[in-house]
Amino acid sequence: MKIKDLGVRLLGALTSLKTSIVCLAALMVLVVACTLAQVNLGTLGAVNLYIRSFFVWWQVPGTGWSIAVFPGGALVGLVLAANLIAAQVKRLELSGKKAGIWIIHAGLILLFVGEFMTSALQVDAQLAIEQGQTLNYIESPRELELAVVDVTDPAHDDVYGIPQSRLASATSIDIPGTPVSLRVRRFFQNADLSARVPGDPPSPANMGVGASVSVRELPPVTADDQMNRATAFVEPTAGGRSYGTWLVSNALGAPQSFTHEGRTYVLAMRPQRQYLPYSVTLKQFRHDVYPGTDIPKNFSSLVHLSNPSRGEERDVLIFMNQPLRYLGKTFYQASFGKGDTLSVLQVVENPGWLLPYISCVLVTLGLLVHFAMSLRRGMRRRQAAEPVGGLT
Amino acid sequence: MHVTFLPRGAARTRTPVTSKICAAVAAILALSVGGCRRDEVTHYRVAKEEPGQAAFRPAAMPMGGQGDPGEVAPPSAPDAENRLRWTLPGGWTQSLSGGMRYATLKPSIPGRIDVSVIVLPGSAGGELANVNRWRAQIGLPAVDEAALASARKTLQTKAGPVSVYDFRSEGKARSRTVAGLSSARGNTWFIKMAGDADAVGAAKPEFIRLLETLRFED
Repeated sequence: MKIKDLGVRLLGALTSLKTSIVCLAALMVLVVACTLAQVNLGTLGAVNLYIRSFFVWWQVPGTGWSIAVFPGGALVGLVLAANLIAAQVKRLELSGKKAGIWIIHAGLILLFVGEFMTSALQVDAQLAIEQGQTLNYIESPRELELAVVDVTDPAHDDVYGIPQSRLASATSIDIPGTPVSLRVRRFFQNADLSARVPGDPPSPANMGVGASVSVRELPPVTADDQMNRATAFVEPTAGGRSYGTWLVSNALGAPQSFTHEGRTYVLAMRPQRQYLPYSVTLKQFRHDVYPGTDIPKNFSSLVHLSNPSRGEERDVLIFMNQPLRYLGKTFYQASFGKGDTLSVLQVVENPGWLLPYISCVLVTLGLLVHFAMSLRRGMRRRQAAEPVGGLT
Repeated sequence: MHVTFLPRGAARTRTPVTSKICAAVAAILALSVGGCRRDEVTHYRVAKEEPGQAAFRPAAMPMGGQGDPGEVAPPSAPDAENRLRWTLPGGWTQSLSGGMRYATLKPSIPGRIDVSVIVLPGSAGGELANVNRWRAQIGLPAVDEAALASARKTLQTKAGPVSVYDFRSEGKARSRTVAGLSSARGNTWFIKMAGDADAVGAAKPEFIRLLETLRFED
C-alpha cells in the first residue's frame, strides 16, 4: 500500500508542471554559470563541468573531497525529458484537437535525445596538414593516447592506441594481439618536464630518455588555448620479462622503443588518432587579406581526396561555411600556421546532427498547427455567437 | 518555451506510461554504454608513413597553447603584467580581442582606415622582414637594412623605444601605412594604421600621440 502511494506520488511529481518549471529554471542557472565559467575553464571545460555532467561538483579547498552542489545539465535534461514524456502520456488527450501540442512535445523530446546523442557519440577531431602532405588519419585536439606501435614489418605498422583515460584508471593493460602488457607505475594528467639537476628525487624511469628527466605534476588545464602534457611511467612486460620503466609524455619529442623476441615496439604519447579508409592531400592553402590590411578575407584549403576502395579521386575546395562532408565526417576550415603552409581542418562526426534541425521543424510545425486550430475554433465560436442575419 | 498540460482527468492506464519511460531510460543508457567504449585499446594496421611524416610527433597545441612551437594556431596573448597599455586620443574607440590581433582601434577620422595592435612572441621574424611585409602590402618594393635605418624614426616611451615607419604607395588611389614596432618583455608589438593616404595622414598626429603613451602597467 505504502509502496503504491509512493509510486503514485513519484508519478505525480514526474508529471508535474512544477517539475518542468524547476528544471527550466535550473537549466537557465546552468547556462549562465557555464557562460561565466568559460572565462577560466575554456569552452570544453565549462561545458563538461556544467552541461554534460549529472552533478556540478565543488572541490572543498584543502581536501580531496568533492561535493555535488547542483544538478548538472545531463541530469536536468534527463528529468525534463522524462517529465515531458510522462506528462504527455498521462495528461494529454490523444485526439486530433491536440495534435499541435503532441508535435511540439515530440520536438522538445527529440531535442533532448539529440543532445544526449551528441554528448555520447559526437567525435571532434582535427586534421593538421601541411602543403604537399598526405594524411590518412585525424587526431583528437584534446584526448591523448599512448601509441604502442609494432614497427617490425617493413611494409606496415601495427598501431595500438591506449586512451589516456585508460592509463589514468588502470594499473595493468594487456595489449590485445601481442604478448605485451603495460604496468602503469604513475600517471599525471598534466606535468612539467625538465632536465634533471643534482638534488632532484630519483626518477622512476630507468630506461630511455626518462632517466634524465624530472617530472613535476601540474593541475590539469581546460582552457581553449592550453593543452595538458599527459605524462606516465610505464613498464612493458612480455613473456614474463620486464623491459624496464619508461617515461612517456606528449611533451617528449623522440619516440622510444624496446624489442621483444625480434619484434620492435615503439612507445609514444601523442594525440589520439583515428585512421581513415581514405587519404587527404593538401594541395594549396590560401590566406587572403583585404588589400593594404591584415584583415582576413578568405581562408581556404584545396585538398585531394583519394579513396581507392570506392574508386574516388577528386579535388575539393574547403572554405568558410563550405565544409567537405564525406562518409559521415565533416571537415571544416578551422585554423592555419607555419607561415600559411599548414592548414588545420576541424573534423566532426555526429550521428545525431540532424536531430536538432528535425526538432526545430517539429516545434515550429506544432506551434503553427496549434495556432491554426485555435484560430479555427475561435472563428467558429464567433460565427456561432453572431446573430442570424436579417433581423436587424 | 511554453509547455502546456491538460488538466487531470485525461489520464491513461499506467502500463504504457511505465513502459515508455523505461524505453526512454534504456535508450539513454544504451548511449552511455556506447560512450564507455572510448576506453578500449584500438588497433589499426597501417602502411608505414613516409619519412618526415612525423608518425610520432608530439602533440600539437590547439589554438597556440603552451609549449610546442608547432604554430598550429595563433599564439595566445601575453600575461597581464606584460600587456602593453596606451591612452586613446579623444574620439577614438577600441575593442580588445586578447588574441594575436590584440586590439582594433577606431580613429575619429572618417574614411577607409584600420588600426590594429598585434602581438607576437619573440622577435616575430625580425624588424626588416615585418617592415618589408608592410611595404609589400601596399605594393612597395623591399628595402635593405640601410634603407630601413633611414626610414626609421624612434620614439621614446615608457614601454621603451618604439620604431615608427611611414610608407605611402604610388598610383592614383594611394594607400599609406604608419606603424610602430616595440620589442619588450619577450614580445614584439605592432601598432599599425593603414588605409587611404588622406585618412591616414589626417589621423597620423593623433596616432603618434597614442604611440607616445605606450607603457606597461606594473
